[in-house]
Amino acid sequence: MTATSQKAVDKFLEVIDSDIAAFAESCVHCGECAEACHFYLATKDPKYTPTYKLFPLVKAYKRHKSPISGIAKMLGFAPAEVTEEELREWEPLVYDSCTMCGRCTLVCPMAIDIAGTIRKMREGYVAADIVPDGLVSAAANAERTGSPMGVTLKALSAQIKHQEEATGIKIEIDKKGADYMALLSSMEIMGFPEIIGAYAKLFKQAGVSWTISSKAFEATNVGVQIGSGKMAKMLVERIVDAAEELEVKHVISPECGHAYGALRWAGPNMVGKEFSFKVVHIIELLDQLRREGKIPVGEKDTRRMTLHDPCQIIRRGGLLQEPRSLLNDSCSDFVEMEGAGIANLCCGGGGGVSANPRAEELQMAAFSKKLDQINDVGGVEAVVVPCANCRTVFEDGLDEFEADFEVIGLGELVADTLATK
Amino acid sequence: MMLPKLTAALFFIALMLVPVLMSSDAAYAQSVRPPANAVNQPGQGPERIGTSNTLGEDSQSDYWRALRHGRSGISTSGPGGGLLIQSQGEDWRLIRKQYIIKYSGSVLIGVLALLVLFYFIRGRIRLKGGRSGKTISRFSLSHRTAHWFMASVFILLAVSGLIILLGRTVLAPLIGKTAHSIIASAAMQGHNLFGPLFIIALVWLYYMFVPGNFFKMVDLKWLLKGGGLIGGHASAGHYNFGEKVWFWAVAFGGLLISITGIILEFPWLAANLQLLQVSTIVHAVVAIGLIAFALGHIYIGTLGMEGALDSMTTGDVDINWAIEHHDLWYEEVTGKPVQADKSADNEAPGHAQVYTQSRS
Amino acid sequence: MTFLQIVEGPLFYIAAAVFVIAALWRLIGIIRIGHKADIAPPKGSATGGFIAGNLRHFVPRKSFAKRTWIHLVAGYSFHLGLFVLLLFAAPHIDFARDRIFGFDWPAMPRWGFIVAAQFAFAGLIMLWVRRFADPVMRLISDWDDHIGSWLTFLVMLTGCLALQESHDALKAIHMLFVDIWLIYFPFSRLMHALTFFLSRGYTGATYGRKGMTL
Repeated sequence: MTATSQKAVDKFLEVIDSDIAAFAESCVHCGECAEACHFYLATKDPKYTPTYKLFPLVKAYKRHKSPISGIAKMLGFAPAEVTEEELREWEPLVYDSCTMCGRCTLVCPMAIDIAGTIRKMREGYVAADIVPDGLVSAAANAERTGSPMGVTLKALSAQIKHQEEATGIKIEIDKKGADYMALLSSMEIMGFPEIIGAYAKLFKQAGVSWTISSKAFEATNVGVQIGSGKMAKMLVERIVDAAEELEVKHVISPECGHAYGALRWAGPNMVGKEFSFKVVHIIELLDQLRREGKIPVGEKDTRRMTLHDPCQIIRRGGLLQEPRSLLNDSCSDFVEMEGAGIANLCCGGGGGVSANPRAEELQMAAFSKKLDQINDVGGVEAVVVPCANCRTVFEDGLDEFEADFEVIGLGELVADTLATK
Repeated sequence: MMLPKLTAALFFIALMLVPVLMSSDAAYAQSVRPPANAVNQPGQGPERIGTSNTLGEDSQSDYWRALRHGRSGISTSGPGGGLLIQSQGEDWRLIRKQYIIKYSGSVLIGVLALLVLFYFIRGRIRLKGGRSGKTISRFSLSHRTAHWFMASVFILLAVSGLIILLGRTVLAPLIGKTAHSIIASAAMQGHNLFGPLFIIALVWLYYMFVPGNFFKMVDLKWLLKGGGLIGGHASAGHYNFGEKVWFWAVAFGGLLISITGIILEFPWLAANLQLLQVSTIVHAVVAIGLIAFALGHIYIGTLGMEGALDSMTTGDVDINWAIEHHDLWYEEVTGKPVQADKSADNEAPGHAQVYTQSRS
Repeated sequence: MTFLQIVEGPLFYIAAAVFVIAALWRLIGIIRIGHKADIAPPKGSATGGFIAGNLRHFVPRKSFAKRTWIHLVAGYSFHLGLFVLLLFAAPHIDFARDRIFGFDWPAMPRWGFIVAAQFAFAGLIMLWVRRFADPVMRLISDWDDHIGSWLTFLVMLTGCLALQESHDALKAIHMLFVDIWLIYFPFSRLMHALTFFLSRGYTGATYGRKGMTL
């Protein structure tokens, strides 16, 4: 038992609640979870079996926190202490080969939330400082600037200015009392800044007031990805403080995966109080505005289109119908891929994997499964990907496999197909 | 893939039709009747069996003949109307005692002895080229599951079956009659319960393994070379002649065992006693045959041949094993033609020969 | 006291006591670890989700059914066969009436007992074979899995061997294995039979709050 492993084990025991205890006590090692995990499906390597990734945590639980751990140790059938060697051996399994997508939970007969448990397990790894380099630098950036990519207000302002010029609409920063405060992900700001212009168009059409906070514009929560509750809380608090200061009614979580869950579902629990504002996902909001007739469709997009379901928004976020309703309205040739919906495959790069260069090969292997899914649809011209991280994964993957369809965000698509007055 | 599905279906249907066909009434009870010029015909006057004796009473010998050969109008429960004493029963009992029980044990011990002998003469058939460390996939997870499911059920049935057959002659003298009666009861219950599982295992096994198990010309060549014992390397496809014979023995033997087993478990399905008797004989003989064959199969798959067991445990076999024993299958799967080194035919002990592949 | 009287009498009562006390201890212990209350505004009901999650995971999901069909078929065959024979086989009902409850309930005909047992055996053997043959299961299985399956198999096998109900020795061996199984149960993975509703329920509740059934 080294000091490092002790820190990890102590943290494991701290984060294990009755939910995780029930999971640890219910897994019967049936292995069906492997059949749902894109990393296993792509490599057929048994070590990517989802339940296997949790072994060190479960060992620690059974030795120290299980109701029968006392008698187990006495009679000699408690598992051995978790060693530092084991922790390091498991590090790539916990970080590189899990996107916390939650697909394994669907097939598990015990409905074990492996993804959520990995999230907690990573807390132990952060406490022991056994973390992949890529995520360490992202975390350092986030701590410094709020953005995992080190995007500063200056960079954002430049992008906003471009979008104002492109759309002819003024975008207000730090507007007090606005209906909505929009958050953005660094990936969007740097890679797909058109979304900012799209927001401007849509909200102008809908007659809704909105703003971006200069103090808290970043949605991406690196703390969740790396497994630092402390950092996750700090990033959420930044947003909450800004929202309260501006006295906005809603905060919009953008097309980013973990951001929504971090703010909407985990947020109040991390911060320890209920929010004075409502958290809404941009897709949720657009769907609502469309049902209210505020953003009617104009000319439909005629490209053969399919939808990728980002895990944290659909399966683990609860927004199954909204993207589909919007696409059905806005497109004339929208086709679902096989397995679409709650059970859809992960892009392969979420949950910190895309920020981890060591995991690149695995990520590509997993993405190839996604690509097969799209190719099976046949004749696809564009894929709607409502998550900026998934979009980056797609673009890297299309490059690697030389596939040639377009990848577009949902907000942009809705803005582009808006009825012009 | 259609042919195996079709044969599996036909196989299963054959299995199911048998009890149906069995229910038709046999002509046994009709095989004896009074001659046309008999004074007393059935149904006329007082009921009389055959012609009367000198005292005008029923003839004793006719009476017993009727009992032994059956007579219409007498109803009994059980198969075969009116048959109270069956002469053939004695024949059956003697066949069972003097041939089956007497020799089956010896057959099995003989097979074991032959295997031991073979091992000491030929030794473990090693890989001439040694292990290459590279493998190819031979049996999928479904294949292995089907095989081991059958193997588990087969072993349970074989052990319990042997206790049923040989318990009274072999076990009882050893452990005493009380202990034997307990074990025999246990064996009977176990055998009867697991029997139907054998049928399921058999159908699944057949379906999984029939592709590739039909005989071809190359199998004759393999046989003539003694599988490689005489004259060096013998080519084989996915399955060699020996494996194919084993497969079809299990398929047909298994079918016979299944049908007779069903008849024996549900004896009211049998039209007459004779069918039940024949069933026990067929069941026992085929079972002993399959067990004997199984001993050889287990030997060659474990001790007898290096590298063989891998195919059924991990499913992957060493490439050298594939080339040495199933070269045609190896070529088919990998697309790489194999050139066997001719001088390897005369291997000297300790002189390893490596089969080379042509570079293409 | 004869061996049969011991295993059906004092040993059974001890085993049953260990089973009940240890299982309750473990279950209650898990629940008492507790979890933080969730103050994020819910979209749906957690209680509803607890129940829905439990029911939903009984039904195989189409997207995965093809890949996992052997587990589904074998798993259901084993579990359903086992429950039916455990609860509705005449000798078990007699035992329950005499030793546990004092009342009985209708039993299956004997052939129903046998067929249920055949399903249970088929499923268990199949799953056991998979645990050895499937590389995934081989990697993640431990001694607890193997002892659990072997012990359960032996309980069932000794039961099957005693079907003639003529020999006390066979009945006693079956009962002995039952007693061992009862003692082993609460300290092992066999507890999944009692913990699964918690596991499904907690996940169900979490997703229920998000307005979904997973």
